[in-house]
Amino acid sequence: MPLLTIATFLPILAGLALMALPDRSTRTAHAVSIAATGAVFLITLAIWARGIVAGDFAQVEEIAWIPAIGAAYRLGVDGLSLPLVLLTSLLFFLSALYSARIGERAASYVVLMLMLETASLGTFMALDGLLFYVFFEVSLVGMYFMIAGWGYEERQRAALMFFLYTLLGSLPLLLAIIGLYLGSGTFDMRVWVEGTALGGLPAMLALIAMLVTFAVKIPAFPVHTWLPAAHVQAPTAGSVILAGVMLKFGTYGLVRFAYQMTPEAFAQAGQVILAFGVVSALYGAFAALAQSDLKKMIAYTSVNHMGYVVMGVAVAALATEPRIRTIALDGATLQMVSHGLVTGALFFLVGMLQDRAHTRGIGDFGGLLGRVPWLGWAFILSAFASLGLPGLAHFPAEFQIFLATLNGMPWGLIAILAIVITAALYLRAIAGVFLGEMNDKWAEMPDLDQREKLVILPLLVLTVLIGVAPGWLIDMIHTTMTGLGN
Amino acid sequence: MEMGRDLALLAPELTLAAAAMLMIVAEMFRAARLVLAIGLAGLAAATILTLPMLSVDATVFGGTYRIDLISGWAKLILLPGTALSLLLVRAEIAGRPREGSVQSLVVLVTLGALMLSGAGDMMVVVIGVVMTGLGSFALVAWPRDDAATEAAMKYLVFGAVTGSVMIYGLTFWFGGTGSTLFSELGQLQGQTLVTIAGLIAIIVGLGYKGSLVPFHFWAPDAYQGAPVSIAAYLSVITKAAAFFAFAQVLRDLPRDGGWPLALAVIAAATMTYGYLAALVQTNLVRLIAYSSVAQSGYFLMGVVALGASGFAVPGILVFAAAYVAMNLGAFAVVLLAGRDLGDLEGFGRTRPWLGAAMVVFLLSLTGIPPLFGFVGKFYLLSAAVEAGYLWLAIIGVLNSVLALGVYLRLMVPMYRTSSTEHPSEVGAVLTQGTVVVTVLATLLIGLAAGILPGP
Repeated sequence: MPLLTIATFLPILAGLALMALPDRSTRTAHAVSIAATGAVFLITLAIWARGIVAGDFAQVEEIAWIPAIGAAYRLGVDGLSLPLVLLTSLLFFLSALYSARIGERAASYVVLMLMLETASLGTFMALDGLLFYVFFEVSLVGMYFMIAGWGYEERQRAALMFFLYTLLGSLPLLLAIIGLYLGSGTFDMRVWVEGTALGGLPAMLALIAMLVTFAVKIPAFPVHTWLPAAHVQAPTAGSVILAGVMLKFGTYGLVRFAYQMTPEAFAQAGQVILAFGVVSALYGAFAALAQSDLKKMIAYTSVNHMGYVVMGVAVAALATEPRIRTIALDGATLQMVSHGLVTGALFFLVGMLQDRAHTRGIGDFGGLLGRVPWLGWAFILSAFASLGLPGLAHFPAEFQIFLATLNGMPWGLIAILAIVITAALYLRAIAGVFLGEMNDKWAEMPDLDQREKLVILPLLVLTVLIGVAPGWLIDMIHTTMTGLGN
Repeated sequence: MEMGRDLALLAPELTLAAAAMLMIVAEMFRAARLVLAIGLAGLAAATILTLPMLSVDATVFGGTYRIDLISGWAKLILLPGTALSLLLVRAEIAGRPREGSVQSLVVLVTLGALMLSGAGDMMVVVIGVVMTGLGSFALVAWPRDDAATEAAMKYLVFGAVTGSVMIYGLTFWFGGTGSTLFSELGQLQGQTLVTIAGLIAIIVGLGYKGSLVPFHFWAPDAYQGAPVSIAAYLSVITKAAAFFAFAQVLRDLPRDGGWPLALAVIAAATMTYGYLAALVQTNLVRLIAYSSVAQSGYFLMGVVALGASGFAVPGILVFAAAYVAMNLGAFAVVLLAGRDLGDLEGFGRTRPWLGAAMVVFLLSLTGIPPLFGFVGKFYLLSAAVEAGYLWLAIIGVLNSVLALGVYLRLMVPMYRTSSTEHPSEVGAVLTQGTVVVTVLATLLIGLAAGILPGP
């Protein structure tokens, strides 16, 4: 059974079916959304059960598309993409559950969400350069309409900024893809990842083009400015998908395209890339410290966490010892998953808080822990995970990245300073919102209901599970990364 | 014997010519419906007759007219495009005086466009330019009001001047090669001045047809003065034909004459100027007119790469097919929504399906995958990169962002809440049918790009 194809296109087909239904009420729309995303989640579990292989892509599905130029419909997974595929299907399922309260033009909202899921899964699983680009761009369009249609006050401006910024960012990738094609005569990414399609100056130009694209998407300093605006204005589920899934397009592309397809150029530029990673990590932490809006604060911590991923990949390219390279790549990939889970949870929780209070300012709250213990403890646990506390999801990832940095490029360790800053800002946020004097305005605030608990619990469980026993996930990542590190 | 073979190869053109004559006869009896029926039947028959000839690579009448990949696909693109245009014309001006004359003229202009697309000889290009030109002037002047008359007058004067320049310049090529056949242009190797003189002639003559900067001034006025359906028709059919003619002429010209660089500069100027000008328009027809100017710049990227990249000819053909579908579709929506940018306020909310179709057209014009326009642009960009014009490809890519800015000016107001009424108009069924056909083409053909010509 072509499970990869089914998982990729089931959402959009469900969306089309919904559009064709005579009854497009809010209820039906959300039922279709939950059923489709739930089914896709189960299918991706089946894909996981089928397993991956070392040194190659597994479960490849291939159909000719434009034979004249060697473009084909090709899907496959490996230890880099499969964890992200699982993360994607889980977050979309939880977002569908969470979004069931949205009443405004629910059918259109659901169709967009489902289109986004197809685009996201396709981006991670595509093994054809042209197909990858198609999915990559479709996700932009979907997210634009999501922010513009269901966002908050300043949504039009934020959506426009997001669209222009990321479209401008993604077009250099198109040129790089053309270059890789002209250098190899095919769009097959399995050929490209051998790293021999381009060499010398063309490889460096292609690398620069790809770095521009992925730096905008990740986002790395100084092209991160679209992120806070987009996050603050996006609807909650949009923020979760944007941070949890779509930022990973950037880091995934950094490894799959930049690191794998132009390895020599990447190693030459390694120091510069590492510097961008370190600066992003520090800048994200400091900028987050300066925020009083919870959502904006979490958005900036994404810049910080993604900075660590960039560091890990850069160290992998710079280090000479295969063991160190593998550790760095393991850590970077695990960091992508951890960030998706933890930041996804944080955005959900802030969304739930905003649903109740219609404000997100840290100063507007106080002493909520007694009033809403579920919400409070869930936030505290996720915040501790986000600041890298041992035993929670970010720790094993960041530990491996820093370990490799210490062995490969010790100067990069100044980024550890960012962990201290992050700890400070989260403690300040927890103290401001959940501890201290209770603000009487919120005396009637209800705690999480069943549905909201259902959304949050899986993320918390996984956060702890990855923190305590990350082996099941790292082993899968490691299967592929040993090959990439050599 | 020879003559018989030639005529057999010309079956689509002859069918169309016969249909045009019959349409004029029917118009004499003021039978507008019959005129339309004959036109559609002729176009359909010519399209079907073209299908078995796609793999033919031949010339007729002593090499002056080519039956090849370009002219074959040109027919497959231009004939259905003309049929859709006839439906739009019917939808817009049904029952008005001289409706049948407009329909007949449209088919005659398409015949001229086919001449351009298959031109193997300087004189055929001249005939093609004149045929498309004369018919178009009359079509633009049809409403008989001041705006239309002024627009047609500008168009005519511009056309007359550029046409004369072209004929004058082509005499240099004739002097240099001793022949009017393009296939002899290889002899110009080394004769730089002569090459340049003829080239300027071609750029002026065809650049005017294809509305390249700086020969584009007539286009926004003509589109605005003419009925919307005629603007739609002129913006796709005669323009695409101009680029098919470019491909026919320049593919035999030695690349060392420096013409690729000159055309690359024009291409960059055309796309940038077109989108910048479109950014400040408030009249919807003018906005799309300037966006069409910008699209010409993308066409020209393929022309620049002729002879240096296998993507050049497929790029021009695929982009032309996409452009005909998406631009006709966008104009069809304008026909239903109204000519002013303000008329789009809330259009997507009151008419959700048409609004969604318009979004598809505009995203395709921007070049967002997997829509048809992306495939065309992708081929053209690949052609430019392979021909060594990376800078042109980069400008093309940057202009896509400008394009998004232009098209978002249409999309954003469509989904605002507003009190603007969007009543269904007379002839809406035909227009909506056109929208359905073009939106399906824009959505689906890009996914099935394997059926299109490739490198």
